[in-house]
Amino acid sequence: MKRTQEIIQFTKEPYIEDVGPRKIKSIQFSLFSEVEILKLGEVEVYRGVYYDSTKKPIPNGLLDPRMGPPNKNGGCETCHGNFRECPGHYGYLVLTLPVYNVGYLGTVVDLLKCICKCCSSILLDDKERRVFLKKMRNPRTEPLMKSELQKKVVKKCTSMTSGQKSVTCSKCGYMNGMVKKGQLKIIHERGNRFLDEFNAAISHKIDLKTSVSVPPEIDPKAVYSLFKNMSDEDCELLYLSDRPEKLLVTSIPVPPIAIRPSVFVDGGTQSNENDITERLKRIIQENARLLEDISDTSFQNKSLNAWVGLQMEVAQYINSDVRGVPLHLQASKPMSGFTQRLKGKQGRFRGNLSGKRVEYTGRTVISPDPNLKITEVAIPILMARILTYPERVSQHNIEKLRQCVRNGPNKYPGAKFIKHPDGTEISLMFSSRKRHADELKFGYIVDRHLEDGDIVLFNRQPSLHRMSIMSHRARIMPWRTLRFNESVCNPYNADFDGDEMNMHVPQTEEARTEALMLMGVQNNLCTPKSGEILVASTQDFLTSSFLITRKDTFYDRASFSLICSYMGDGMDPIDLPTPALIKPVELWTGKQLFGVLLRPYSKMRVYVNLTVTEKSYSGKGETMCPSDGFVYFRNSELISGQLGKATLGNGNKDGLYSVLLRDYKSHAAATCMNRLAKLSARWIGNHGFSIGIDDVTPGENLVKQKQEEIYQNYKKCEDRIQQFNEGKLAVQPGCDAAQTLEAEVTMALNKVRDDIGKICMKALHWRNSPLIMSQCGSKGSPINISQMIACVGQQSVGGRRAPDGFIDRSLPHFPTKSKFPAAKGFVAHSFFDGLSATEFFFHTMGGREGLVDTAVKTADTGYMSRRLMKALEDLAVYYDNTVRNASASIIQFMYGDDGMDPSQMEEKKGRPLNFSRLFMKVKATCPPRGEKGLSYSEICEIVNERLSYHDMSPEGGCSEAFRASLSDFLIKNLAETLKRLREALLLGEEQYAGGDREYLENVALNISGITKKQLQVFLNMCISRYHLKRLESGTAIGAIGAQSIGEPGTQMTLKTFHFAGVASMNVTLGVPRIKEIINAAKKINTPIITAKLLSAANLTAARMIKARIEKTLLGQVAKSVKIVMASRLASIAITLDMETIQVSQLCIDAYTVKQSILQTPKIKLKEQQVKVLNPRKLEVFPQANKDKLHFELHRLKNKLPAVVVKGITTVQRAVVNKEQERDRKSDAKGETYELLVEGTGLLAVMGIDGVDGRNTKSNHIMEVQQRLGIEAARISIIDEINYTMSSHGMTIDLRHMMLLADLMTYKGEVLGITRHGVQKMKDSVLMLASFEKTTDHLFSASVNGRDDKIEGVSECIIMGIPMQIGTGMFKLRQCVQQVELNYQSEPMLS
Amino acid sequence: MVETLFEDIFTVTQKDPDGKKFDRVNRIEARSEQFDMYMLLDVNTEIYPMRVKEKFMMVLASTLNLDGTPDTGYFIQGNKKSLADKFEYIMHGKLYRISEEGSGKHVKADIFVSFGGLLMQLRGDPSIAAKFELDQKLFLLLRKV
Repeated sequence: MKRTQEIIQFTKEPYIEDVGPRKIKSIQFSLFSEVEILKLGEVEVYRGVYYDSTKKPIPNGLLDPRMGPPNKNGGCETCHGNFRECPGHYGYLVLTLPVYNVGYLGTVVDLLKCICKCCSSILLDDKERRVFLKKMRNPRTEPLMKSELQKKVVKKCTSMTSGQKSVTCSKCGYMNGMVKKGQLKIIHERGNRFLDEFNAAISHKIDLKTSVSVPPEIDPKAVYSLFKNMSDEDCELLYLSDRPEKLLVTSIPVPPIAIRPSVFVDGGTQSNENDITERLKRIIQENARLLEDISDTSFQNKSLNAWVGLQMEVAQYINSDVRGVPLHLQASKPMSGFTQRLKGKQGRFRGNLSGKRVEYTGRTVISPDPNLKITEVAIPILMARILTYPERVSQHNIEKLRQCVRNGPNKYPGAKFIKHPDGTEISLMFSSRKRHADELKFGYIVDRHLEDGDIVLFNRQPSLHRMSIMSHRARIMPWRTLRFNESVCNPYNADFDGDEMNMHVPQTEEARTEALMLMGVQNNLCTPKSGEILVASTQDFLTSSFLITRKDTFYDRASFSLICSYMGDGMDPIDLPTPALIKPVELWTGKQLFGVLLRPYSKMRVYVNLTVTEKSYSGKGETMCPSDGFVYFRNSELISGQLGKATLGNGNKDGLYSVLLRDYKSHAAATCMNRLAKLSARWIGNHGFSIGIDDVTPGENLVKQKQEEIYQNYKKCEDRIQQFNEGKLAVQPGCDAAQTLEAEVTMALNKVRDDIGKICMKALHWRNSPLIMSQCGSKGSPINISQMIACVGQQSVGGRRAPDGFIDRSLPHFPTKSKFPAAKGFVAHSFFDGLSATEFFFHTMGGREGLVDTAVKTADTGYMSRRLMKALEDLAVYYDNTVRNASASIIQFMYGDDGMDPSQMEEKKGRPLNFSRLFMKVKATCPPRGEKGLSYSEICEIVNERLSYHDMSPEGGCSEAFRASLSDFLIKNLAETLKRLREALLLGEEQYAGGDREYLENVALNISGITKKQLQVFLNMCISRYHLKRLESGTAIGAIGAQSIGEPGTQMTLKTFHFAGVASMNVTLGVPRIKEIINAAKKINTPIITAKLLSAANLTAARMIKARIEKTLLGQVAKSVKIVMASRLASIAITLDMETIQVSQLCIDAYTVKQSILQTPKIKLKEQQVKVLNPRKLEVFPQANKDKLHFELHRLKNKLPAVVVKGITTVQRAVVNKEQERDRKSDAKGETYELLVEGTGLLAVMGIDGVDGRNTKSNHIMEVQQRLGIEAARISIIDEINYTMSSHGMTIDLRHMMLLADLMTYKGEVLGITRHGVQKMKDSVLMLASFEKTTDHLFSASVNGRDDKIEGVSECIIMGIPMQIGTGMFKLRQCVQQVELNYQSEPMLS
Repeated sequence: MVETLFEDIFTVTQKDPDGKKFDRVNRIEARSEQFDMYMLLDVNTEIYPMRVKEKFMMVLASTLNLDGTPDTGYFIQGNKKSLADKFEYIMHGKLYRISEEGSGKHVKADIFVSFGGLLMQLRGDPSIAAKFELDQKLFLLLRKV
């Protein structure tokens, strides 16, 4: 007996790629013709009324029930479906006369520009026409190129009729003038020639009294007939996919009632009509008026008015924001048109199609709970009773589900519905639950309440990166807040000052699995931005770890055991370590507690090895650091160091959790975090940690020192001000006196705050709570402490001292022009002392700037992130390791040149492995055990052999860079160190077999030797780990990259300007700079060219080149520019100051000056007017009438000094920059010079003698592209983003920037991430429509007959199709062999 | 008699060479008489006060058992007779690092031991370092003389 194969039933049908024959493959955009509209319509709508007196819809009115059911009670008269079934039907409305469609008005004008306004043939001559047509018909031409081509045709035709010119049609001889777009009308100016001819012709008519003017307007009716006459070939040439007459509106499809519902208010007495309905009503009225006017033959002029009215109404129906609607035609209240429905954030595209509202969600206030695991979230019972999960009844859960069914929807844990396999659904609200529970069968689905262990998605807005939404496991708890472990605050950027968070419950097993695997907290401990750890201990956890691991914390047996039991709720087995102090009393240290925390019992095989330098590290002695700042874990024992943020906190790559994560996978790191959270929360609860007024009360000594410090610096400032007032202040290079004063005073005042801060930190007792917090990095900085205790410091507004809000002073409490510290916003008091009135005012000024900046920044960065996301959303890694976009064009051949996953990078600079740490680990975890150490040559041999295996070759998937770095590390660093050590110990190259030196061998091995086993383990570990770090195919690396660049933008502080080392050389930084780079701005704020010099060590040469680059004006090198009045002629004599020229080595003489004068525009001098008398003197003769001569002379005299005689005009100034040569051993002096040139003109700077053109860079990306090409531009984009980010202290993996740069340059020109650039990068209409300029893209797509293949991310979301990225990329299905099950009763005997 | 790894008499030369940082723990600097060793040692001075110029005997051993059986790693309380009876202050810890200083004739070896965070640095002739191994569990025993 064989049973028919049962189809496996899932709790909810999983998505199956191929659902029958229907799948939206592409969307074709086209134009509607009149015929199609009439065919589509079920009813002609010509009555502009809604209801009759009995509140019944009027037939042929706007709410005719043939267009769909008007409300829930009514039915459809066309299909007889009810409100839920009927999708609605169209009606139609025929217009008396054609009108323009506002969306197509631009296209219509363009067409008219190109055709003859009489015979509709194209204005181009035949040859040109054929060339363009050939190009247009080329099947390889992309839509983007086609529209470029069309623009070219239009431009060509427009140029023929520009100005007052007119062109005669080659076919019919009609005179065509310029076509212009008026306000919802088209103007045809036929030019002067036509008017002359016209007037000439008219003048023959004698009886004409008034002059007749030709109406310059072309009416839509004329346009319609012109378009109708156009040949299909011409249409093709102009990139029209369809007949052009369809661009005009002759009839309107009336949309179904379903999309413009009529709502009854006041209990059915009145109805509220949708804006669209009201617009249609006005169109109908206007249309009727027009018809009346036309049929009335008495006078024709009036018809025009109604026609204009109709045009206006139809235009507003499509786009209510259309310009040029006269006031009297506008509706009294603003009514939206179709464009308004689609566009904007709340519009259809962004509001409903790209982002949809969902069920099974919850939102409430969050609060912390250190007793939860990091992967858990506590959900209030109230919420768990509403949210459900459909669980299929099986053998294993039937009893549980029966109980749930019995409990019903209101008692937890209960259930809401039962679904039978045949599809019937039973609500448990009212029906007899007991019976249903008893009748529960396998295969039924029960919508049960949420229970412990269910998977939920947890999210906090703004969702800036993928860690903003992660999957947790539910824990159902009493009370009303969502709770989670504080360690997870960081990825969400959450605090508990009233934040709310959202929660979603995935409804299928498939979704749950994917959520757990891809979005689980445990699998997202690291940020892909840089590979740093993000989920880590914070705040109190750091404080208590810091206090526990202090060198002088000792615990006796009882308290040590108690604390040990804190970390695992007393449920874990724990091996008590041997006490550090055995006699006179048994005492354990706090550091031993951390050994227990990492490795509670000896069977747990976690061996952590790491070294970290904490904030307090004194910089010498490593582990012996007197302030215990060097953290050293060896085989899970804390050897030394007081733990703080660097070890336990987020944002580092070699902290404790990072090491655990890399070496022992995420579970080890997560459990360790859990243990620490529990331990520290309980420990600090017993220990107590609070802050009081005595913590911020300064001691007597501190007050004295502070006053002394302030007095000293005030005096210094006063001295400077005195010098400035007397004009004796020594000026800094590149600054004027005022700037110098400001810089020096600011420096002195900043020094005050820093110095006082230092004194303050020293003076505080180590038990001072703020001090502890700042030392361990849990909260606050030394500056914060010194502001509370000692001195608030200088307040700044816009990077300067407080500005003058009154005339010549900041506040009226001070004398005018006062520059003293107190008058310019220096706050000498501390928050403890309290601020004086003026100080307080200055403080608010600074505070406000911060607030304003945050508000402005959020909007700015949000928009930037959105643009980045839209541009990069569809980039993914494919199975051939290339990065491609949705239309499969290659952006990168290998992601980041090595195909590594940025989130897995262990080294600080983004390299895959931190060799020295791994080496340390290998040495600690595999002790030599009597094995002999290797010699230098042996090491080389083993390494080279291993490196020649297949998995270390490029074919085996290993990048050249990694191979080189590995062999470098082993041979250059390791083996060489060993060699040096052996020399130091007076050992030879090779080993001694025995003798008295054997003990030294042992010492050498212990110090830095390596055995064969260790080396092999190390090599294999490095290589296998490297291969595991490859980026998985399908990864949406574009989206990750966009988030990685967008998210740090939100954190960039208000410091937008920054000194680049040289006096007063500012560089734009922060969000504005990132914006410039990403936008590929043509004009940037601070263009700077860094010019390397051929003779870099020579200062005089550098000065000389600087003089050549900087523009020199004639006025600067002229001794005199004088007007010479002779009796016969007047002239201007210029004498050059040869000494100055010699000193600055400019190579100028009168001849070059003459050339410069002649080349200067606007001065308008001719060759013969400038006369060189001798190399240092020249004369200029003005040419003018006698009466104007005097003025001309003075004009020249004023203009001539501004003539540029040497240098580059686009350069503002150049500065010689001294840079310390780092490690070039050959250069003994160690000082080199380079030039920083403010301004553009890269080509000119590179061309100057003495400049090393090959190493000269510019920060202006567009200029780099123009001068050096696209590859240079790409590098420049990477460098500039990297520089900007790193100067804000943010580390971002280089691979993200490379991807962005590649995307911006892969088309061969630098495309900005703006609407113009994105338009050129993407083909999809829907994607562009959901980005910006929604309707423009839709209109042009329909004119051009675009075909949108649904392949990108945006399009797939809009159409509701799973996208071809990540898990959706894989299209292969395995054919699993059917297992034949033999169902029969078991044999009685066997 | 149990064999010890190192035995010598030291004199405290300095207390807290880098300034006092902790309440209960002081770092002492000491020099030995016999092997001319230099030592830095963190001592819990709250329970075992030490003063400058004081002399003390220091022993490093890998086990406290008098018969020399290796330490089990498990700490058992009891009144068994052991090496500990003769000393006043005993710490238990782990040798974590051996390094060298200088070169040629003047080469010195450093031994670093951490007693649950209380550190010891012992500097002297390399021949002394040869007896020690990395990750060795050590007992430090002190007695004033």
